Amino acid sequence: MMLKIEKNIENDHSVLSLIGEIDASNSVELDEVILEMVQGGVCNILVDCSMLEYISSAGLGVFMSYLEEFQEKQITLVIFGLKEKVFQVFNILGLDQLIKIRDTKQDALDEIL
Amino acid sequence: MLNIPRPNIGKVSVLVAILAWLALLFVDITRIFETVNRLEPNMAPQVSYVLEILFFITVYLFYNYSINKNEDLDFLDLIWRGASTGLLATSVTLIINFFYQMLGEGRLASDPLLRNFFYHINFAMISLFLISCSLLWKHLILYQKSKRVVQQWQAFEILMLISMFFIFFNENNLDYSFLFGFVFLTFFSASLSVNLKWIPYLTFKEKWKSILFFVIILVCTSFLFFELLSYSGTNLTFVNLTDNLFLMGLFAFVFIYSLFSFLVTLFNLPTSSVFEQKLVEAINFQRLSQSIKPGQDETQVLDILIDSSMSAAYADAGWLELLDSEDNKVIIQERFINEEVREELYALISNTKPFSEFNWKASDNDSRKYQGKIPHNIFKSALMMPLVVNTKTIGRLFLVKEVKDGFNKEMINIINTFVGQACISVENYRLLNEAIKNERYKEELKIAQRVQRSLLPTELHHDEYFEISGFSEAADEVGGDYYETKEISSNLFAIIIGDVSGKGTSAAFNMSQMKGIFHSLVQLNPSPREFLAKANIALSQCLERNHFITTAYYLVDTKNKKIRYSRAGHCPTLFYDASLESCEYMSLDGLGLGMVRNALYENYIHEAEFGFENGDVLLLYTDGIIEAKNESGVEFGYERLKKTLNDLHQFSAMEIQKKILENIYGFVGQNSMPDDDFSLLVIKFNL
Repeated sequence: MMLKIEKNIENDHSVLSLIGEIDASNSVELDEVILEMVQGGVCNILVDCSMLEYISSAGLGVFMSYLEEFQEKQITLVIFGLKEKVFQVFNILGLDQLIKIRDTKQDALDEIL
Repeated sequence: MLNIPRPNIGKVSVLVAILAWLALLFVDITRIFETVNRLEPNMAPQVSYVLEILFFITVYLFYNYSINKNEDLDFLDLIWRGASTGLLATSVTLIINFFYQMLGEGRLASDPLLRNFFYHINFAMISLFLISCSLLWKHLILYQKSKRVVQQWQAFEILMLISMFFIFFNENNLDYSFLFGFVFLTFFSASLSVNLKWIPYLTFKEKWKSILFFVIILVCTSFLFFELLSYSGTNLTFVNLTDNLFLMGLFAFVFIYSLFSFLVTLFNLPTSSVFEQKLVEAINFQRLSQSIKPGQDETQVLDILIDSSMSAAYADAGWLELLDSEDNKVIIQERFINEEVREELYALISNTKPFSEFNWKASDNDSRKYQGKIPHNIFKSALMMPLVVNTKTIGRLFLVKEVKDGFNKEMINIINTFVGQACISVENYRLLNEAIKNERYKEELKIAQRVQRSLLPTELHHDEYFEISGFSEAADEVGGDYYETKEISSNLFAIIIGDVSGKGTSAAFNMSQMKGIFHSLVQLNPSPREFLAKANIALSQCLERNHFITTAYYLVDTKNKKIRYSRAGHCPTLFYDASLESCEYMSLDGLGLGMVRNALYENYIHEAEFGFENGDVLLLYTDGIIEAKNESGVEFGYERLKKTLNDLHQFSAMEIQKKILENIYGFVGQNSMPDDDFSLLVIKFNL
């Protein structure tokens, strides 16, 4: 399982690009990156999942575990560009009810304005 | 009365030697008596010669036997035996001389019989000394023998044997043939005498002792030789026993070998400490390379390491620093230094080049060594060597000396070897411990597996209105999938299926919690929505922050042929409707347990109800089924599952379950292992 995480800071938000697959073995990397961003005082996080092929329950658990903290610190997390199959995973779990999920980056940017 | 022991070469040869000597004495004295009294001598000199040879051979046999018997004699013991025999022979000669001194010019002093008697004693003592010495030298010469040396020695023995019989041919004349034989034997002895391999193995003290013993032997040999020459000079009428090529050859041999040994030992004295040092290093190396035995620990190896390194470098002080399991630096071995000075030095070394360049994280630390001057008022130079086990630097060895540039290349090389060997020993020890630990974990996992298997029901509750069949397989030893049934009342059944996020041991623990919650709540007969809401409250207390559980809870009412259910983020249920002859996934919003850990959770949960008829099939499963991949990475997927059930609906629940599994295994292929836990629950409605 290969996962590459790219972090770009653009103006008032950070863009996190997830490339590859997220499973139990590499979900820790995702956790570390998000923790670093939260501690760095980021306001808005856009997650680019257009290159994400697969996410396991452990990967979803990482997003889930930060939801409360995001709410407290008023951080907005928007996921965009999900592939149909990956979106289905979010959808079945109900995570789409808790996280804003948009189709394109522009839609996502509109969300944080 | 007379106890005859088994033939004993030692005793027999002593006895024969004594008898031969007595016979020789008797023969010679008789002959002299006859000569003195002008009687016709009827004893040929050859009789004396034969007895003499017999005496030599038996003495040789005796010493050969007695030295071989004491195999474990060390070199010093051997040399001392030679020296003590020499001293004895010399003292006897001196006593005889002293005795004649006392007699002065009396008649007894010139008595040929008495003089002959003493001459025979002298002869016997000298023979004993020379033959014993030769045999002792044989042991020294043949130390670490090669085939060539053995052959050379055998040739020498044969030559000596021939020289015994030379007397028949030569009749005691010191003619050219005698001289030729003597010179030949002397050269042969000299060529044998270069075999001195035993000398380096003596310690410095032993070398001094052996030098002393050789001086004794050389003095005795010279003295006895000149004593014999003085006998030859006298005109007393008797058969000369000592102008014998055999004895003269032995004199030459014993003297030359002693002289060579004496000189070589003497010249070896200054370098003996180096040889001793190398020997100690070799032994230390061997001790280091012995693996640590169970029950011992690493400190023993490190103890040897610092001691051998210090002695190899003649270091004045040293210590070992090690990283413990939390990566804290601890000093575990200290030598000839107190804590205060060591801390002072440690700070000094850490801030001095090249030592300050050391980096714990560097990957090539095993090939690095740091040495240089340090600005300290007692210790002037230091050596630092990293200890690397399995590419990780685990510690450092520090050695300091009071002289400048105290560490030369040879010392550093040998210490480097010591460090390398110690690290290998430590690594082996750690690997062994890890292997033992892993073995124990495996056992524990097996137990966990057994326990977890028992958490899944072996029998599923049902009545005549439906059949039910379940299956579960974990990707690792233990898994996080869960299903169970409960008969709440007649015609009312609760069915649950769940999947804990993640897999392996942590998932298994959470799964067992889910089982506990199911059994607690099901007794209260809650509605599916209530069940999930309460389960969420309970799990919120105990699930880790980033863990959740997806589940679906069904209440099957067989009397009214209705099913009520709620879904908490679990895979959508697949339902085969016999009247429509088609499969559909039933969509119903929901949210995984533990994803929202407050009262708001309830808002995300919904409840639905549907009826069932004879021939309908309900398929509950976990995402492992959907995500099962074949060799080219394609998932089994929802559509394939739907089609599979469509094709199989006419079979019994058990058959459907088995055939779906066969289908999945067939799709995945023989060589792939399941990536995730997967479970399956088939419910088929009859009547």
